[in-house]
Amino acid sequence: MHRTVPSLPLAPSVKVKLINAGFQVASDLTDMRPLQLCKEAGISQEEAVEVLQMLRDDGQPHQQRAATESLTALDLLHQEQAQGSIVTFCSALDDTLGGGVSVGKTTEICGAPGVGKTQLCMQLAVDVQIPVCFGGLGGKALYIDTEGSFLVQRVADMANAAVQHCTLLAEDTEQRQALEELTVEKILSNLFLVRCHDYVELLAEVYLLPDFLSEHPEVRLVVIDSIAFPFRHDFEDLSQRTRLLNGLAQQLIQLATQHSIAVVLTNQMTTRVSNGQSKLVPALGESWGHAATQRLILHWEGLRRLASLYKSPSQMEATIQYQITVQGFRDSPDEPRPVPDVSAVSSQSGNHSKRPRMEDLS
Amino acid sequence: MEWEQLDLNPRIITAVKKANFRSAKEILCVSGPDLQRLTRLSKTDVQRLHYAVAATVRKSKPVTALQLFQGECPVLEAGHRLSFACPILDGLMRGGLPLRGITELAGESAAGKTQFCLQLCLSVQYPQENGGLNSGAVYICTEDSFPIKRLRQLITQQPRLRPDLPPALIRSRRFSDNIYIEHAADLEALQACVSQRVPVLLKRGLVRLLVVDSVAALFRSEFQADEAIERSRHLLAFSNRLHHLSHEYGAPVVCVNQVTDVVDGPNQGRCDYGLVGSKVLPALGIAWANQVMVRLMLRRLTGQVQSDNRSSAPRKLEVVFAPHLPRASCLCGVWEEGVRGIPDDHSDLQQGSS
Repeated sequence: MHRTVPSLPLAPSVKVKLINAGFQVASDLTDMRPLQLCKEAGISQEEAVEVLQMLRDDGQPHQQRAATESLTALDLLHQEQAQGSIVTFCSALDDTLGGGVSVGKTTEICGAPGVGKTQLCMQLAVDVQIPVCFGGLGGKALYIDTEGSFLVQRVADMANAAVQHCTLLAEDTEQRQALEELTVEKILSNLFLVRCHDYVELLAEVYLLPDFLSEHPEVRLVVIDSIAFPFRHDFEDLSQRTRLLNGLAQQLIQLATQHSIAVVLTNQMTTRVSNGQSKLVPALGESWGHAATQRLILHWEGLRRLASLYKSPSQMEATIQYQITVQGFRDSPDEPRPVPDVSAVSSQSGNHSKRPRMEDLS
Repeated sequence: MEWEQLDLNPRIITAVKKANFRSAKEILCVSGPDLQRLTRLSKTDVQRLHYAVAATVRKSKPVTALQLFQGECPVLEAGHRLSFACPILDGLMRGGLPLRGITELAGESAAGKTQFCLQLCLSVQYPQENGGLNSGAVYICTEDSFPIKRLRQLITQQPRLRPDLPPALIRSRRFSDNIYIEHAADLEALQACVSQRVPVLLKRGLVRLLVVDSVAALFRSEFQADEAIERSRHLLAFSNRLHHLSHEYGAPVVCVNQVTDVVDGPNQGRCDYGLVGSKVLPALGIAWANQVMVRLMLRRLTGQVQSDNRSSAPRKLEVVFAPHLPRASCLCGVWEEGVRGIPDDHSDLQQGSS
């Protein structure tokens, strides 16, 4: 076994003592007796017993794990394609996102009040439940509401519209069978809601997520609406806020990949004054901009509602138009095709360091 | 924080006490690796610790939207709203004001905002089956003194406004007794009122409606143009307090807001919420707008509306944004008995520019 001592899952003080005593690799420890280890490393007998116990348990499976842990890029590609995505019912936005909101990634939705962030989140919470035979994920959703803007009346409207939509699409027997089970009540029963009243409750909820996701393995979407609200007041120490937010972002991306879920966060907008000009930028600071895998900015342009994909590792930046109807988040009747509008997006967000990407429309 | 009550190995609890942690908040605000360093526990121990502490902080387990829909969780979703006392206005709002969250009513002066608020203060006092909350209201005045004469007029005219209710029910309500009037001349007084006196009234169940008329007045007057950040901070603290009170007691909060003039055209640094062509926008900027759940705008129109040989200037009540409402508007008039919506097919209306 070539595992080094610093990489073992032990308390840091124990590790330090072992290293100082000269134990560099795990194999150095295997033949030791507890009393010997105790004397040489200067740790307590209890700790020595724990160390040796851990090594014994760890032995076999670790070697096997090491062999299977490396994946080829092709494996990863297959995995990613198999993950799937959640449609938004706005085909222009779905095209821009490459099929929909991706599972296994964190997506951030920024926008001014009233532009449609909560509407999009509610729509996704309904759409994740579309049965597999209709092209959906057939999964459940967890909605973490920090603002109190989750009104079940509206979700029921959207669920109803989704069922109607699927009814129109149903062609074969499998789909018709799935449709019989797809009712508004069923959709509502697969949508879990938690309300967090401050940032401590939100932190607690995220620590409890792994357990919740293990208990409910069909959950494919976790929405936090909004992550900005509890963090934007009450903080004298902004560096603590940055630390907490970064920690949250890391936990969420880990959950997204480990449990195969899509994590959607909503953020507010704030005014930033630079060079005498004021611009609307996403809140929570500059470093938060790196937190989510994908960033979508919803904004008004006159009477039109536009969505710009501002940051994505796999998709091209583009701006599309959408509308909010009684049925929910939908395509705008005016603009059917997404337009890759690189210059408009980068100037609106005011990030001058971003080079416009030149990619061909393949 | 009583660490013993956590379901953890005593070894972990001792380590936590030794590291001087006093509250659940402190534990949750420290990351895994930092906790390992401070308590000298292993990674799995720290994970168990975080989990146990988080479980105590969480107030209630996740519920399903179906349970909310069927009214099984009154704390999260009451299932009813606070009526405006007019079927047309209630129709615009799909039942009335939501019980949790801040509703803003913005408009120019003399648009009729105070009239709406007074009407709500009376409507809240009826039983739940009549659209009220069977409780009183707190009215915080920051601008003018409370319009007591108008309130008395509205009270005497209630039977006319609510012909659907039995007169005995209306007579049995002691309207003036249940409206608590507060005057706040400056920000400090406003904060004191909202932090001390209002929670007491809410806790005792004496009130279930909070009106702030207006929120803009004090915030605009006490801060200079370059003190925007300072103003933001106070505004956020204030709105946060309102938000918490509203959610804890299920009491709608109505904030009256002023408007600012739009002098230039569309401006990238300012959000106009899709209100194209409007010469005014709600005041206090995006910092305040982010705290508001339902935003309504009231505009006074030119012309006249008739009802029973009386006339009034028409108003347009518009939903600017709300999570459950489309962008719609309706016309209404202000009469002796209060504010009433005007059905769309009204032909007497001569509308000018809004």
